[in-house]
Parts: sequence; C-alpha cells; structure tokens
Amino acid sequence: MLNFIVKRLFSGLVVLFFISLVTFIVLMWIPGDPALLSLGTDATPEKLAELRESMGLNLPWYEQYYQWLTGFLVGNLGNSYVFGEDVFTLLVQRLPVTISLAVLSMAIAIPIAIVIGVLSAIYKEQWIDYIARSVMQLGDAMPQFWLALVFLVFFSAGLGWFPVAGFTPVEEGFFASLHSILLPSIVLAIGQIGPLIRIIRSSMLSSLEQDYMLMTSVNGFTKFRSIGKYALRGAIIAPLTIIAMQLAGILGGAVLVESIFALPGLGRLLLMAVEQRDLILLQGIVIFVTGTVVVVNMVTDILYQIVNPMIRFGGSHE
Amino acid sequence: MSKLKDNKLLVFGLILVMIVISICVVSFFYLPHDPNAMNTSDRFQSPSIEYLLGTDQFGRDIFSRIMVSSQYALLIGLVSVTLGSFLGLILGAIAATSKGFVQSILMRIIDGFMAFPGILLAMMLVAVLGKGLWNAVIAIAIFMVPVFARLSYSLVLDQKNNLYVKAAKSYGASKGRIIFKHILPTILPRLITQFSASIGSAILIESSLSFLGLGVQPPDASWGLMLSESRQYTLTYPFLAFPSGIILIITVLGFNLIGDALNDSMVKRRASA
Repeated sequence: MLNFIVKRLFSGLVVLFFISLVTFIVLMWIPGDPALLSLGTDATPEKLAELRESMGLNLPWYEQYYQWLTGFLVGNLGNSYVFGEDVFTLLVQRLPVTISLAVLSMAIAIPIAIVIGVLSAIYKEQWIDYIARSVMQLGDAMPQFWLALVFLVFFSAGLGWFPVAGFTPVEEGFFASLHSILLPSIVLAIGQIGPLIRIIRSSMLSSLEQDYMLMTSVNGFTKFRSIGKYALRGAIIAPLTIIAMQLAGILGGAVLVESIFALPGLGRLLLMAVEQRDLILLQGIVIFVTGTVVVVNMVTDILYQIVNPMIRFGGSHE
Repeated sequence: MSKLKDNKLLVFGLILVMIVISICVVSFFYLPHDPNAMNTSDRFQSPSIEYLLGTDQFGRDIFSRIMVSSQYALLIGLVSVTLGSFLGLILGAIAATSKGFVQSILMRIIDGFMAFPGILLAMMLVAVLGKGLWNAVIAIAIFMVPVFARLSYSLVLDQKNNLYVKAAKSYGASKGRIIFKHILPTILPRLITQFSASIGSAILIESSLSFLGLGVQPPDASWGLMLSESRQYTLTYPFLAFPSGIILIITVLGFNLIGDALNDSMVKRRASA
C-alpha cells in the first residue's frame, strides 16, 4: 500500500515537472519583448536593457527555467508583466470565484447525475433510460458558452431572476454571493452531467450484473433493498475517478462561463494573459490549473485503492 | 431489437451530419446573399423570404453566414483530428512496442498532456502561435494527440501478443511494418469511432476559441464568432443567439451520435463473439 502511494506520488511529480518544463519552453516562443511589455513603448533603450537584465531575460532558457523552478518551490511564481503584481497574489485573488463555481456546479451535477444514471441503469431500455440518454447526448453537444448566453438572455435579462453580470463576494452575504454564481454554476453543471451519467449508468449496469446481486434476490431481498444496499455501493466507486477527471473540464468551462458572466475568476485572468501575451502570468495559471488536476487525480487514485479492496489486494502482489 | 435501435442512432447521426455537409457543399456554389455585405438599413431583420434567418447587427444575412461558417467548422474539424489522430497513433504505437524507460517516459508525456483542460491547452498554443484559423487547427490537433495516443497505446498493447503478430515477427518483419500492415487493420474500427466523436469535440473547441476571439477572425464567419459578435445585442434581440447555436449543436450531436453508435455496435460484437 505504502509502496503504491510512493510510486503514485513519484509519477505525479514527474508529470508535473514535465508539464512545467514544456509549458515554459513553449511559452518562450511567444514573440514580443516582456521588458517592452512592462515598460511601454516610450521606455529608453537603457531602461529596457536594465530591466531585461534584472528579469533574467538574457540568460539561456534552461537557466531561466531553473530560476522559475526554484522560485516555484518557495511559492514565488514571478511578477506579471502586465499587472506588475506577484502572480501568486493574482491567482489567490481570483481563486475564490472559480472554486465556488466549480464546487457549486459539482454539487448540482453529481446528485442529479447519480439519480438519472442509476434510474436509467435499473430501467435499462425503458423510457427513463431513453430520456436519460437523450439528455446525455444533448448535454455533450451543447457548447457551454452558448448555453450561458441563452440562460443569460432568458433568466437574467428576461425574467430578472439573476444578476446579468458580476460577482458578489461572500463578505457581502452568503446568499447574495450564492445568487451571483448560481446561474453560471448551473451552466457548468449541465456540461458535466452528460459524462457523469454515462459513467454512473455503465458502472451501475455492471454492478447489477454481479453474482452478488443474484445472491441477494435468492436471499429474498426486495429489489429496492438489494439495489440500495449492494449495487449502489459497487457502482459509486467508479464515478470517483471521473469526478476527478471532470475537474479539468470544469476549469476549462469556467474560462468561457466567467467571460460571459463577467466573473472575476481564473478564467478571465487566463484570457487576459493570453490576449496580452503575459508569459509569466500564463505560466503561473497553466501550472496552477494542471497541477490541481494532477494532484486531484493522484489523490483519487490513492483513495480508490483505500476504498476498493479488490484493487488493493491486486496491487499488493506487485 | 437493440440492434435496430443502435442503427436508428446511427441513421439519426448520419442525417444530422449530412444536413451540415450539404449546407457546406451548397455554400461553395450558391449563397443567398454576400455573407460579409453590411447593410445598416436592414439591421436586426426578422426572418423573411428575403432573409431566411433574418439579419444581424450589421445587416448581414445570417443564413448566408451560417452556410459559409460550415466550411470552416468542417475543415477545422477534419484537418485537426486527422493530424492529431495520425500523430497520436504513431506516438501510442511507439510507446506500446517499446520497453521500460522509453515507454514510461512517453506515457508520462501523454499523461501530462491529458492534465490540460482542452480549452486551456488550445488557448496557450494560440498565445504562442497567434490568433487565426490555421493556428486554431494546430492547437486542436495537438489537443487530440494524447487522446489518440492513449487509445492506440492500449489497442496495440492488446494485439501485440497475438499469434499473427508473433508470426509476422518470426518472418523478420520490421516494427513499422508490423504496426501498419498487421496491427493497424485490426484496430482501425476503434480508431474510426474515436475519430468521429473527436470531430464533434474539435468543432466545439473551434467555436469556443472563436467565441473568445482567438480562432477564426472577422470579417470571416464562424458559428462561435457569430455568437461572440452578437453577444452584446442578444439582450435586446435574443433571436441572434439561436441560428448559429442550433446549427452548432446539430453538427456536434451528429458526429457524437455516429461515434457512439459505432462504438456500441463494436462493444456488442465483441461481447457476442
């Protein structure tokens, strides 16, 4: 078990290192002079040269990467060219919005997906199943930015149920804050429901086919009881992994949704970094987002081992 | 019974895709109006005989713009997925047929790419390459590489120890020959399934990039760009959000359904075999 955890941690770190290196190299290709970007076009050549020197832009790429990496290890992600502020501070400022969006959207999507997924597995090839699968297909095909736009037009502008734009911080009241991110979260949740239903349905189906399910009916359990007590338990584990995988999708969706609802989150910051070609900021966001995904995947893999004894015993043979 | 239903899904998917392809083909020969011609006196027209889907904020004919956009959507979808699947296949096959260190390095690289949310990777690449149609194609292709690399890796690994591969090896066939001549035909159906589904997601990413202003650039038309341009007017004239949104859904749904139906029938065939 310990062996597995160490191995998993190690491979996670390798992936992270690889991501940071590749991102760094790729972003070095961005044309444009960061020093010029920070000082503006009316800067004197001497000033520019001085700044380049102090930013370490004259060093070869591997030394620049080394500097970035050593900074990263102590929590220093460098200064944004455009904002002139510490990237870490910028990230921390924007994070609450994106995290609230992600958490709320999962809180909406997961229960709904579990109910629909389980029902459609139990009533396979019946009308509930057909409806569930249609919902799934439609959810997969619908662009989130379009849904956001339509919801905005209908619920915010038309019915006036939600604010058209902007974020209310928690400090100004929990419910006001919730209200300001509810609609974007619903949009994000709809994007996740499709893949979630798919995985819950198929893991529930395979769980229903297990021998122990036959056994419970032999033992005279009611259908409801045997499903609730046995099949569900077997079926819930698989979605654990997909929820972790979904995270990447949620963060991606947040970029678009935040830009439509004018929410000051990570997604907006990212869009600004791309438009302004702010290399250091971009590198910081990319590492932060992918790092979160890698770490969450790592943790779920390890949890998975702890929850599911079959995998655990299989793993211990190594 | 269930076979019939799968076919229905496939037929429905094919119909949707055929609608889009026909629109695309017709757009090369005939357009009701010049898609980029602005006509300020005819702004925000409701659908009519003259303008089938009305006009947008610049008085341009929405129907013509949707027709032209289908060219970009299909082009970007096809080219980026073809490129991505080809590179992914090669990478996955190399990983599957090599041992130890090379294999684990390649797989970690693929894992690393998988950790990127699609749109984030695409945005990062656009930041490097610059905005525009072809850069979006490259960005989406790179996004597709790990998807196909993962799939080919496991498929090739599955086949690697089969007798026919061993036989080919014993004749002294080269690695490349074994992969392309012997293994590829057996795994092709699965790859084609993924190909179809991936075109759907490629078109989605393209529209998202264009919506963010990073893909197809004005005055050219793309469904995502059309939505983005009309964004500030949708509050007063909501109709603008629908034509390009719905055609986008039809296209993506069509490709996804085809992919799913093919996948289902393959799973069933394997189960009954």
